[in-house]
Amino acid sequence: MIMFSKLYKFFSSVKLAIFLFIAIAALSMVGTFINQADTASQYKTIFGPQVYHILYWLGFLDIYGSWYFIGLAVLLVINLITASASILPHTFKTVFGPYPSFDETAAKKSPKAIYEIIESKKDVHEITKVLNSKLGKPFSEKELYYSKNSIFRLSPFIAHFSVIIIIIGVFLNFHYGFRSYTNIKVGEKTNISYLSKNHKPIKLPFTLSLDNYRTLYYKDGIPKSYISKISIIKNHVAVATKNIKVNHPFTYGGITIYQASYGHYKPTAAKLSIVSLKNRKSEKIVYAEFGKLYDTGINNIKFRFIPYKHPKKDEIPFFIELSNNKILKFYVLPYKKHSMPLIFAKYQNTVFLYNGVKNYYYSGVEITKNAYTSVIWAGSIILIIALFFSFFFNHTETWVKLTPLKDGKKTRIEILAVPKKKFESFYNKFNKLIAGIKKDLTGE
Amino acid sequence: MISANVSVLDGSLYFTVSLLFIVASFAGYFIFLFTGNKTISKISFGVLIAGFIIQTAAFVIRWIYAYKIGINTPPLVDLYDSMVFFAYVIIFGFILIRIFYDFDALGFIITLVASLALAFASFSPLAPSAVEPTIPALQSYWLIYHIMTLFISYGAFGASFGLGVLYLIKINKTGKNESNKKRGGFLSLLPPAPIIEESIYKVVVFGLVFLTAGIVIGAAWADSAWGGYWSWDPKETWSLITWLTYVLFIHARFTKGWGGKKMAWIAVIGFAVVIFCYLGVDLIIPGLHSYATPGSTPIL
Ligand code: HEM
Repeated sequence: MIMFSKLYKFFSSVKLAIFLFIAIAALSMVGTFINQADTASQYKTIFGPQVYHILYWLGFLDIYGSWYFIGLAVLLVINLITASASILPHTFKTVFGPYPSFDETAAKKSPKAIYEIIESKKDVHEITKVLNSKLGKPFSEKELYYSKNSIFRLSPFIAHFSVIIIIIGVFLNFHYGFRSYTNIKVGEKTNISYLSKNHKPIKLPFTLSLDNYRTLYYKDGIPKSYISKISIIKNHVAVATKNIKVNHPFTYGGITIYQASYGHYKPTAAKLSIVSLKNRKSEKIVYAEFGKLYDTGINNIKFRFIPYKHPKKDEIPFFIELSNNKILKFYVLPYKKHSMPLIFAKYQNTVFLYNGVKNYYYSGVEITKNAYTSVIWAGSIILIIALFFSFFFNHTETWVKLTPLKDGKKTRIEILAVPKKKFESFYNKFNKLIAGIKKDLTGE
Repeated sequence: MISANVSVLDGSLYFTVSLLFIVASFAGYFIFLFTGNKTISKISFGVLIAGFIIQTAAFVIRWIYAYKIGINTPPLVDLYDSMVFFAYVIIFGFILIRIFYDFDALGFIITLVASLALAFASFSPLAPSAVEPTIPALQSYWLIYHIMTLFISYGAFGASFGLGVLYLIKINKTGKNESNKKRGGFLSLLPPAPIIEESIYKVVVFGLVFLTAGIVIGAAWADSAWGGYWSWDPKETWSLITWLTYVLFIHARFTKGWGGKKMAWIAVIGFAVVIFCYLGVDLIIPGLHSYATPGSTPIL
C-alpha cells in the first residue's frame, strides 16, 4: 500500500511534469538537427556508416516514432490523469461545496492568505449588510463565506483534459491514418504509394491517374501555381476528377491528395518525325529509345537511333544506323520560323527530323489518410478556451467571522481571504476593500 | 540595388524612417533611466507613438502596393516583413501596457528590441525589402491568421523578456523586500518586484494563449494545404519546444522552490527559444517555413 501511494504521488507530481516537458523538448530538438526519415543510403553518405549505426541504434533517425518518445507522451498522459484525479476532489469541494469553515481555513495557514480584524459597534445585521454590499452574496448563510469566480477553478482541469484528448487524437491518427507520397507520370495511373516514414510501398484503395499537369507563372517567371488534373479510378471507371494545387487538395473517401511537387523524368526517348520527300504528308512519328530497332514505314527501311560514345564539340551527339548498316549523320539547318533550328538526317528520299526529347512530366502528390483529426481539432479548441479562462479568471475566497466581544457592545469582525494566485494586484485591491469596509463600519 | 523610388512605393522607406523615431525614443528612455526625468519619458512615449503611426502608414502602403502588383496575400511572408511586423507588434503591446500601467522603465528595453529588429530588417542583406510574389504554398488566407496570432504572442514574449530582465536586475540589487528605496536612480523607477513578477506572469499567459492558437491555426492550415496537420518540420518542432517552455513556466509555480527569480529566468530563456524558433531555424535549418532564402524554397 505504501508502495502504491508512493507511486501515485510520483505519477501525480508536477515535478514529473516538468521533467517531461524538458525531456520532450530536448528530444524534439535532436530531431530538428538530424533529418528525419531520410533513406538509409542518404544517412550513410551524410554521417558515414559507423555514425549511422549509432544514430540508428539510438533511434535518432525516426525520433518522433521512437519507443521512448511515444513512451514520454504516454507518461505525460498518465501524469495528467493522476495529477487531475488527485486534486479533483478538493477542487470540486471549492466549487460545489461543502465549503470549509473559517477555522479550518485559518488553521491551514496558507501563505497566500490575508487576514484582517475590525471592531465595530454596529449590530450584526448591519455589519452583514455592509459586508454583502462589498463582497457580494455569501455562499452559505450560516457562515459568511464569499466566493468569486469559483467555477473557473475547473478550467485547468478542462485544459488538462483537452491535452489528453489531443494526444489520444494524435495516437489514433498515427495508428489508423497514413502519410505517403507518389509520383505519377502524365497520362499514367498508379495505385501504389510510398509511406513517408519508411518509404515502404502500400496499395491504395483506388487507382489514381494524372490526366494533365501544368505550371502557371507570374509575369516575371516565378511559379504561381502547380495544377494537376487527377482522376480517381475504381473498377476501371473514373469516379471523380479534380484539379488539385498547393493549398487546394482533394479528399475522396477519407483520403486526401495534395499537390506536393512536380518535375520530369530523365528523357529516355527522342521524338523523330520521318517524312518521305515523295509524299510530304506521310509523316510518321517515332519515340525512339537508344539502340532499339524501329521501322520507318517507308520501303521497309528499319533503323536504330544511337548516341556517339565520345561526341566531338559542336557535333550532334547521336546518329542513325540503318538496317543495311548505313550510318546517317544529323545536320543543322537554321530555320527562321522556329526558334529551334531544324535538325535532320537524310537517306535517299527519307528524312529523319529530330524533334527533341520526349519529356515525361510527373506530379508528386502526397496521399494522406487523416483519420480522427476532428478529435485533435476539438481538443485544441477546448484547450485554447480553457487556457483563456484559467489565466484570466481568478478565484478568490473570503471568509468572515463575527464574534461578539465580552462587553456586549462591540463585535469583532475577522476577515480571511485566500486568492488562487498570489498576485500583488489582489492584495492591493483587498486592502482598498478593507479600508472601505472599515470606513463604513467604524466611521474611521 | 533597390532604388529609392521603389522603397517609397512599397513603403519600406517609411519603415526605415520610423526606425529613426524609435531610436530617438530609445535614447530618451535611456536618459530617463538615469535621470528619472518624467518629462523625458513622456516625450519618448510621444516620439514612439509618432513612429508607430508612421509604421502603420507604411504597413498600409505596402499592403496596397503588394495588392497592386498582383499579390493577394498580405506582406507578412518574408523575413523583412516578419521582422518589421514583430517590431510593430511589440511597440503596440508596450503602448497598451503604458496606457494602462505607469511603467516607463520598460520603454527602454522594448524600444531597444524593436530598434534591433527594424535595423536588421532595414540593413541586413539577409532581409531584402522587395515585395516578392508569394510562392504557391503560402497563397492562403490561413496565413494571415497564423502569422498574426504568432506575432502577437512573440510580442508578448518579447515584453516578458524585458520584464524578466528588469526583475532580475532589481532583485539582485535590492532583494525582494524593497529595503533600500532611498537608492534612487534607475531601480527606484521600477515598480516593486512583486508587481513586476505579476506582470511577467500576465504577459506570458497572454502570449501563451496566442501561441497555442497560432500553432493550432498553423496545424489546421497544414491539414488543409499540405500532407497533414503536423510534419515535424523544424519550425513546427521549435514552436512546440517554445510552447513547452512556457507551459513549464506556468507550472513552475506549483513546485516548491521556484520563486520569482527562477520564473524570471524562464521568461528570459523562453524568449531566446522564441528567437531561435523565429530566426535561428530559418538561418540554420531549412524546412517548409524557410524565410531566409527567397526563391530557393522548394514548392512546398
Ligand atoms: C501538457 C500540457 C499542459 C497544459 C497546457 C497545462 C495547462 C495548465 C493550466 C492552464 C493551468 C492553470 C495555470 C494557472 O492558473 O496559472 C495548469 C495548472 C496545473 N497543472 Fe497543468 N498543463 C499541462 C500539463 C500538466 C501536467 C503533465 C501536469 C502533471 C502534474 C499538470 C499539473 C498541473 C497542476 C497540478 C496545476 C494546478 C491546478 C490547480 O491549481 O487547479 N499540468 N495547467
